[in-house]
This record gives sequence, structure tokens and C-alpha cells, in this order.
Amino acid sequence: MTVIETRGLTKRYGRQPTAALADLDLRVEPGEIFGFLGPNGAGKSTTIRLLLGFLHPTTGGATVLGHDIDGGSVEIRRRTGYLPGGIAFWDGLTGERLLDELAAMSGGRPVRRAELLDRLELSDAIRRPVRDYSRGMRQKLGIIQALQHDPELAILDEPSEGLDPLMQRAFYEILEELKAAGRTIFFSSHVLSEVERICDRVAIVRRGRLVALEDVAALLARRKRNVELRFEGEPPLLDFVPGVSEVHVIGDRLTCRLEGDVAPFLAAIAFAKIHDLTIEPARLEDAFLEFYADELEPAVAS
Amino acid sequence: MNRAYLAHLLRANRFRLLLVAIGLIIWGSILPIIYDAFGEQFRDIMDSGIIPPQFAQFGGGDIFSLTGSVALGFIHPFAVALNMVFAVGFAGAAIAGERQRGTLEVLLARPISRRGLYLTAAVATALFVAITVAAQTLGTLLGAAVTGRVDELGAGNLPFLWANTGLLYGAFAAVALGASVSFDRLTPALGLALAVVLVSYFLEAVGSLWPDADFLRDYSLFHYLDARRDLTGLPDTTAFAILGGVLIVAVVYALVVFPRRDLAAPA
Repeated sequence: MTVIETRGLTKRYGRQPTAALADLDLRVEPGEIFGFLGPNGAGKSTTIRLLLGFLHPTTGGATVLGHDIDGGSVEIRRRTGYLPGGIAFWDGLTGERLLDELAAMSGGRPVRRAELLDRLELSDAIRRPVRDYSRGMRQKLGIIQALQHDPELAILDEPSEGLDPLMQRAFYEILEELKAAGRTIFFSSHVLSEVERICDRVAIVRRGRLVALEDVAALLARRKRNVELRFEGEPPLLDFVPGVSEVHVIGDRLTCRLEGDVAPFLAAIAFAKIHDLTIEPARLEDAFLEFYADELEPAVAS
Repeated sequence: MNRAYLAHLLRANRFRLLLVAIGLIIWGSILPIIYDAFGEQFRDIMDSGIIPPQFAQFGGGDIFSLTGSVALGFIHPFAVALNMVFAVGFAGAAIAGERQRGTLEVLLARPISRRGLYLTAAVATALFVAITVAAQTLGTLLGAAVTGRVDELGAGNLPFLWANTGLLYGAFAAVALGASVSFDRLTPALGLALAVVLVSYFLEAVGSLWPDADFLRDYSLFHYLDARRDLTGLPDTTAFAILGGVLIVAVVYALVVFPRRDLAAPA
């Protein structure tokens, strides 16, 4: 069963001429980490709020976990963990009390709470009032409240905002484990490197429209890598090697672009005297700019 | 309705509720004591004609009969202000306040329907109003007991007074909750609810004190709280019906409007 399926999902606020979201068609499959990418105001949060029933679609529709978003939003939220962007809490409560109350309102047992508190290093602060929490601690608390009942689907709006690099790494590991356990994760971000690191597929929205939907691994595999090597004597002959293009030799330095299988390239340089070789890994940002330059620029500056 | 959220609301407001209830118990007991101490003198002053007779009719209250002094205590601005802490303050902030703080997101991330959320807030408001009005009624009984005038009060009719006052504040609370589900910010929600209360009070006051403007009282919800009549055991069923009607209309409005609203991301 498809976890999220949208069909021409469109949202227009009042009489504004531009739709906040226009004709979105998406399918998110079970066990997938799906990145939803775009600059601020692109329609990411609007999409999430439509999926959870906070907003009503102008036209089109969607199902989440088999329930229609129009009539089944309560059932959707029963099986979903949601982290809102810029989350706020009742600051007078302690972190522990807050998590207890939210779990009670959800009706699910907080089976993963202890583990998440440990992994995100919040155990020591959990008995302090939330008003004393830093921004990063609040974000961790938000992540825990969304995942503590082990939901089938996690919808996370800019989840790594405010987390330091170590905590980001811990959070990514948690997501990967959730994926391994068969859970589905749909998260929005405006950071390409984050999406590149953990997502199976990524969609990019810009001005309310879907401009790209790609499998991350396939996209990276198609990406041309930048190669630079330093040699002694004659430069290796690369002009007719499959996958190699844009060969330039300046002095003892050779640069080129490499696409696809690296074996022919390695065979071609095997007999040259190489002092140094750098193959820059393919970056998602470059891949997107390469394939979707017209649609994306300058939206994906980040 | 979500019991866990109801428990959260009750827990979060328990100290405020205690303070308001104590204030209303004290206030409720004061006017019977004042009547006991100064009632005769006030009657002499009124009989002398120095003060226009309209001043003895405001909200059906006076200070030279026990039921009149109780009625005055129930319509007095101090009692109104204390009762409004929950009827307008809590109810007006119940949804709009959560929305402004950003905590409505967290609430609606739970499997709670908007109608369920509204009904939970409405039940909490009804409980708070019932308790605060009961506190004032209890204070009245205590004041009468201290002065040895329980028989004169007609204590058996206190439930009518409690119900009438509860319906009045319940109607204001329903209007405040209706405003609360209609706005994203607290200020307009509270402003609208307070405006309804103030205009209503103004119409009752002007209509009471100025005979030519007596017709204005029909448009005031305060006009339908008649404590003196409640205590005589003959409550005005039309007044109960009007207050109940306002309450029901406001509840139905909220139940229709809130689920249909778009809750865009907080700014």
C-alpha cells in the first residue's frame, strides 16, 4: 500500500492569484525516506498541513496510510508522528510531563521514548521545565514527541533545525533505523546535503510546483564527477575513454569529467606516472543544478 | 472529547480557579453582611428621596432587602470581572491562545478532531464557570448563615440562582469560544468577547438608570439574570430560554466554523 499519494493536490489561499501548492502528484512508498525540498515559501509546509488535515485542498486530493485527507485526518494522525516546523510547547511543564501528556492525548504507548532520550542526549534535562530549554533541546523534544509512540509514518518539518552536527548525525542514524524497521519518513528540508545523506528519493518544490522528483542514488550515479590528476612525463590519453569528457591539460595537471563506470578510466591511467589523483564525489546539489538548471535556479541556492 | 487534554486544562488552571473561587466566596458573603449591618440605613436614605429610585433597581438589586443585596452582588462589576476570568479569559484564549503560541500544532498532531478539541475546551469552560458561580452562590449562603438570615434568603432556591448565573456566563463563554475558533490571534478573539460583555453591561446599566432607555435592557444578556426572582422560587423561564438559546447558537457556530477553517502555518 502506498503510504502517501497525492493527486493534483492544489491549495489556493483566498483570492490570491498564485496557488500556494499547484497540482502536486506524489507517491511515497512504505519504508522509504522521502525528502521534500524547497526554499522558504515553496509550499513544503502547505503540503504537510494538507496531508494532516490542517488545511483543506482547493482541488485535488490525497490519501495517507489509506485514509483520505478530507475525512480521515484523525485516523491519519493516530498512525503518524508529526514534528511541526518551529515547534512550541507549554513551557511551564517539565519535558517529561509534556511527553507524558502528549502520549496520553495520542492514546499510544511511548515505547521508544527512553531510547530516543538517550540517543539525543536529553535524559538529564527531561525533568527540567521546558521554559529552560535551549532551541536545540526544544527541537530534540519535538523529535521525541513525534517518534516516541513508534508511528508507521513520521512527517517531519525541517527536523534538523537547531541541532548541532553531532546531534544531526544521531538523528540521521535514528531515521535510518526507523527505515530499517519498515517505517516511512517524509521530511521537508531546505538543505540539500541533508537530503543527499539520508533520503531514498527527493522531490523539489518551487513556487508551489513540483519541479523535480528523483531517486537520489540514481541521480548521483548519473552525475559527472570532477577529476584532477598530477602526472610526470606524458599525460595519459583519455580523449576516447568511455565516460570521460572535458579533458584539459595544463602543465603537469589534467582535469576532466567522469560519468558512470570508473573502470575504463582507471585502466586508461594505469600506465601513466601519477603523483596525485582526486575524484570529487558527486554532490546532489550539482546533480540537480545539472539536470534541472532551468527549473531550479535560483531556488536551490542552499 | 479528549480526556487527557481535559485533564491538562484542569491541571493548568487549578491555581487560578482556586483564587477566583476564593475571591467569589468572599464577595458572595460580603453583601448579605453589608445588608445586615446597613440595610435599614440604606432604606432610610432611599426613602428620603435624595437618591433617584432608579439606583435601587440596577440588575434587580438593592441594599435594603437580602434578596436585593444578593442580586446586586451578582450583577456588581467586581463579581462580573471575577466570573469573566474563565467565561471570557479562558474561553477566549482556549483555541486562539493555543494557535498564537503555536501549541495548537502540537495538539492537532494528536488524533483529536477539531470538534473534539472544541468540545474539550467547552467542557473545561463549563466546569470552570459552574465552579466559580457555585463559589459565589456558596459565599452568599455563608453570608446569610453568618448573619442568621438563611430562612430569609430562601436557600432552597439557590440552585435556580446558580443555574441562571451559570447560563449567563455560559452564554458569554460560548460567545468567547466562538470568537476563539474564528481568529488566529488572541487579541481579536478576546477583544470581541470582551466587547460583547461590555456592550451588554452598558445596555443594562443605561436601561436601568434611564427610564427612557429601558427598552435597551432587552438587548443585554445581563438583563436575563434576575437573582431576586430566582431566590423567590419563580425563575423566569423565558430568560433561561434566551440565555440557553444564545449559548446553543454560539456552540453550533463554533462546531460548524472551526472544522472548516484553514489553519495555515503560524507566522
